[in-house]
Amino acid sequence: MENGTTNDIIICENVKKWFGDFQALRGVTVSVAEGEVVVIIGPSGSGKSTFIRCINRLEQHQEGRIIVGGTELTSDVRNIERIRSEVGMVFQQFNLFPHLTVLQNITLAQIWVRKRTRAEAEERARELLERVGIPEQASKYPGQLSGGQQQRVAIARSLAMDPKIMLFDEPTSALDPEMIKEVLEVMQELAQTGMTILAVTHEMGFAREVANRILLFDEGQIIEEGPPAQFFNNPRHPRTRMFLSQILSH
Amino acid sequence: MSLQPHELPRPSEPPPKALRSTGINWMRRNLFNSVFSGALTVLLTVGLLVGILAVLRFLFSPERRWEVIPPNAVNYAVGSYPREDLANVWRSVWIIAALAGLSTVFWGLGGRVSLIRTLAAVRAAGVTVLVVGALSLWSPAGFAVRSWLVWGGAFLAAAGWAGMRSIREDRTFSAASALAALLLGGLAIGWFLLDAVAAQWHGRLVVTALLLLAFHWIGRLAGTRISEQTMKRGTTLLWLLSFPVIYLHVQRSPRLVWEEVTPWLPWAGLVVVAGLAVIGLVSRLGREQAAAVNFLLGGVAILSWAVQWPMAIRVLALLLTLFSLATPTFAASPQSRRIFYWSWLGGSLCLLYFFLLGTGSTDLATRGEFLGGFNLTLMLAVGGIALSFPVGLVLALGRTSTMPVFRLMSTAYIEVVRGVPLITVLFFADKVIPRFLPQGLDFAGEAKALLAIAAFSAAYLAENLRGGLQSVSTGQFEAARSLGMTTAQMTMLITLPQALRAVIPAMVGQAIALFKDTSLVAIIGLADFLRVARDVVPNQPDSLGSILENLLLAAVVYWIFAFSFSRASLRLEKRLGVGTR
Amino acid sequence: MRDQVHQVNQPSLAPPTRPPFWRNATFLKWAAQIGALVGVAALGFVLIGEALSNMRAQGLSLDWDLLTDPPGIQLGEGIFTHPETGLEAFYTGAVNMLRVALSGIVAATLVGLVVGVSRLSSNWLASRLATVFVETFRNIPVLVQVVFWFFFASLLFPSLRPDSSGPIPGWLLVSRKGVSFAWPFPQETFWQWAVFLVVGLLLARRVYRRRLFRVEEAGEDARPLTWAVVVLLVVAAVGWYAHPLAGAVGWAFGGVAASVRAIPLLAYQVILAAISIYFGQRWIRRFLDSRRSPAGLAKLTDDDYFRMVMAGLVGIVGAAALLMLPGITELGTELVGSLLEFFDRKFDFLRIGAPLAWGQPSVELPGRFPQIADTGMTMTPSFFGIWMGVTLYTSAFVAEIVRGGVLSVPKGQSEAGYALGLRWGQLFRMVILPQAFRVILPPLGNQYLNLAKNTSLGIAVAFPEMVQVGQTMFNQTGDTIQVILLWMGFYLSISLLLSALVNYYNRRTRLVER
Repeated sequence: MENGTTNDIIICENVKKWFGDFQALRGVTVSVAEGEVVVIIGPSGSGKSTFIRCINRLEQHQEGRIIVGGTELTSDVRNIERIRSEVGMVFQQFNLFPHLTVLQNITLAQIWVRKRTRAEAEERARELLERVGIPEQASKYPGQLSGGQQQRVAIARSLAMDPKIMLFDEPTSALDPEMIKEVLEVMQELAQTGMTILAVTHEMGFAREVANRILLFDEGQIIEEGPPAQFFNNPRHPRTRMFLSQILSH
Repeated sequence: MSLQPHELPRPSEPPPKALRSTGINWMRRNLFNSVFSGALTVLLTVGLLVGILAVLRFLFSPERRWEVIPPNAVNYAVGSYPREDLANVWRSVWIIAALAGLSTVFWGLGGRVSLIRTLAAVRAAGVTVLVVGALSLWSPAGFAVRSWLVWGGAFLAAAGWAGMRSIREDRTFSAASALAALLLGGLAIGWFLLDAVAAQWHGRLVVTALLLLAFHWIGRLAGTRISEQTMKRGTTLLWLLSFPVIYLHVQRSPRLVWEEVTPWLPWAGLVVVAGLAVIGLVSRLGREQAAAVNFLLGGVAILSWAVQWPMAIRVLALLLTLFSLATPTFAASPQSRRIFYWSWLGGSLCLLYFFLLGTGSTDLATRGEFLGGFNLTLMLAVGGIALSFPVGLVLALGRTSTMPVFRLMSTAYIEVVRGVPLITVLFFADKVIPRFLPQGLDFAGEAKALLAIAAFSAAYLAENLRGGLQSVSTGQFEAARSLGMTTAQMTMLITLPQALRAVIPAMVGQAIALFKDTSLVAIIGLADFLRVARDVVPNQPDSLGSILENLLLAAVVYWIFAFSFSRASLRLEKRLGVGTR
Repeated sequence: MRDQVHQVNQPSLAPPTRPPFWRNATFLKWAAQIGALVGVAALGFVLIGEALSNMRAQGLSLDWDLLTDPPGIQLGEGIFTHPETGLEAFYTGAVNMLRVALSGIVAATLVGLVVGVSRLSSNWLASRLATVFVETFRNIPVLVQVVFWFFFASLLFPSLRPDSSGPIPGWLLVSRKGVSFAWPFPQETFWQWAVFLVVGLLLARRVYRRRLFRVEEAGEDARPLTWAVVVLLVVAAVGWYAHPLAGAVGWAFGGVAASVRAIPLLAYQVILAAISIYFGQRWIRRFLDSRRSPAGLAKLTDDDYFRMVMAGLVGIVGAAALLMLPGITELGTELVGSLLEFFDRKFDFLRIGAPLAWGQPSVELPGRFPQIADTGMTMTPSFFGIWMGVTLYTSAFVAEIVRGGVLSVPKGQSEAGYALGLRWGQLFRMVILPQAFRVILPPLGNQYLNLAKNTSLGIAVAFPEMVQVGQTMFNQTGDTIQVILLWMGFYLSISLLLSALVNYYNRRTRLVER
């Protein structure tokens, strides 16, 4: 592994996190290089979502260190802001703003956080809607779109902030099967442009094709990591084998 | 059986006789559907007739002095407002009429009204009047009243019935034209019936109606050029401005003496200009430098209370601090910076005007007597809502905050205020506020009552808003956070718009309750509508012994307002329910 | 072998740095909060100082003499119409307020239930009339209604003549001086009988449960309700004659009262202070337990620390106040002691006679003008006004709550009930009512609270309840701040009591559901 080299954009060292009396993360150490696509898999409750939510401080890790783009996540207000504006996130439940149109969803943060003018923001928004394949839905409200379309809007909304890193938290789990593909295609296209991606997903096809590296989480720890070929064809840990057999059996 | 071929579609048959909607069938289904129900119907009918008769006997008893009410109309409406300045009151009525006319465009009056349903309503009203007229034969009602009721009811019922017979298909007409017809018809009837009383006002009423209609059409015309959102925002802003404009400028009495403008005015002007510079500077600074400037500014604003600065400058400094605090988060782009310049100018000049009201020989802070009657009731209701909204919002945000001290303070305020009756809060304002002021100084009772009502209502409003804030899902916050928004931006742009929409029905209910609660100021001696009806009019030498009549009038007027608000809120609720899914 | 993967050396990680305080989120959060707290405290300090100096200038002070001095006021009705101390005046006001509130709550609930169920009735006339009732009474300000009913009673009722006997002679007398009706008045032996009633109720409940058990387990037709009512009636009947036996209860009260008074004040102070500290300490310990995991104590947030510090502070401040201000403890023991003695005085073996005596309305003629004699239960026009006003106003809201509650039960529930072969009555009692009740209870409690607060409008019709008494008092003495503090204390304790009650029932119905 190339931990600690200069082009590591995310460095996590011994990250621990508790919810009340439940320890969700039990010392996670991992680094992600710039442009790398990392897929995190694992059974539910294994701490994989908690982990990527710690990276943009939606959850606060309680021990250990997280350094994103050279900035450490501490209680320093400036650092939190800098990291949030460099890390985009896509959620399982889309979390679009229901009171705003698709276009407003995408321009809102550009105007207020990135301080762009409305015209600039709208131009960028239309460009991104084009890129995710739904330019005609700009003036609709999120409630009027299908799940797949909503998730693509959510991706566009994150991309509009020009992030260096994209986090995906089970982006396809709430979607009907026929919509999963359209979202995965957008993600794949994104990976090809050289974006650093950290994705929690159960889509093994996506992991196999797109990922540079796969991490398996269980009980708050990384059990196994490696390139997809090795991971799927020659897993080293018995827990990995069990997990894969469960996932791939259907 | 299933192998047999299907028959050709049968023609639809008329329903069996027992299902047809005839009068008899309707009664069988709705009044006599069981032995118990039938007995109940008989019992209730008898009770209803006896009740109506009792009410008619009361209403038409020779002891009733209904004739004292019309001559006192001005008293009910404005209390002791200087009679030579009544034109000011009409001006404020016209302002409201014009704004209402504008608002009708998007109040759902673009909808259609069904002719058949209108005629059915006319028929029902006619039958009711006819029945009441028939019953009034056994009451002391005079011949004229009885004949009016009987013949008028019969005419309405016949007209409705004939109309329904004569049309085959339902037709609809626009609600706006229905409104216009209603207005003009009302005016015509008013001319005919209330001639003696309304003669002096008739011209003004016509102007009011015409303004309403004219601005309806102006709004429609404007609607074709401007987007609906801009129209709505503009009208809302005008409504918000209309309140201070009406009560602090149009109706104020005695009028402001500009010669008494105080020596601090040039200094205040300087602060206004300096404010523009500060906003311009802070919006261009980095976050931390801006915070430093704001810290300094806040220090000056707070310390100004320790030195002998004019009150206006102190409050202006506080306002500037608030603006400047919001600047780094909300005014960094050139467009929003321009909005900030204009709102600072508007806000600070309004504040200055407000302070001009409180100085010299025409000090409104200590003289509120010019407000009275229904005018005062409206002022307290509208002002109470307007003032309680920001306070309630801050309390609700405090109560849902993650910061324990703010949560504790907000909770304490909300629970204490909600635990005590309004009348104790009114007494607190009336009797205890002067204790906190330097000797001999006191505010006008109207101002103190307004503060008390707003402080009281804010606690209830905060609880409603809390419900709305809690209904926003955590996913929304996470999305906003992940996009890099600050807490203030998240609250203003994501949380509040969604929370407010969720609690509009509850807030309308709260506003109706507040409107009814304003009647309590009669107890602390303010001349609101109820006090005029309960004490002032019945104690005039020529209208002694008319207290019950006056109280019934008060009940009816309050009822009309509260009932129509609650109906409007039901409609609003339905529309919101459809809109947001 | 897995260890090799993530235990790699970390050569380039710089040592962690602490951010400067003005960028530290934790510091900023607490600075803002403490700043706000200090600001509010400073504002309060300045205002109170100003108020005190103003009052001194007017010759007023912030003492509580108004409770002990003769107030020199008269009250329209109640226990003490010519109170000798301020405390007596407020006590009268409080009792009058509770009379209106309790009877109003009972009446509003009954009326509201009937109207609310009528609104759902399939009978068109009943539902329409109920709608008219609701829309009329909830859209007119309660104050207008109170004043209206007061003047209605004092102007439109028949005037009182020496031979008046009202619409129902011997039962109901309606006049401008008040409405009087027949009433079973508790006599001095009532408390002894009440002991039997309580015992009877407990027994009846036990019998009801037993019989119900037999119905459910053995399928017998055990008639639980009939049995319970019979048991209660039998015990009540026995008690009607045997009540002097309950005089023994008086000994118990007397003995406890004597021992309460015998213990020195300092002992109470120390014990109560210890209890205060113990509770603070227990709260913190339980809180920490709730955050403890098998792996050790979870990381605490600053909010957690704040709560623990507050709990500890409350405990310590409470203890210090109890130790330094013996007045609080003295007041408490005095109250408990006199309450016990009050009960003691209500019981005596030697008291005999019927616990209740039937009183009928009548007119007396003390001078030239007739008066309603106090042989019946009498509502003065003031009482009538405030009572009718708050009852009708609240019942409109209660009706809406009842209707909403019944409608909130999904239609599938009654369909399922019918499918099981339940009759309508059974369905309503066993399926719909229990579910509706859970929806109804919280807003109903709120309405009761509103009714209690609305009794304060008695001031508009000269009914001597808490606010009217207070206003009369401060018009005499100028002690507005003290009176307002008394009002706040009174209404807040009623609010707390009522909401505690509602919460208790809420929790119980929720537990029953599981």
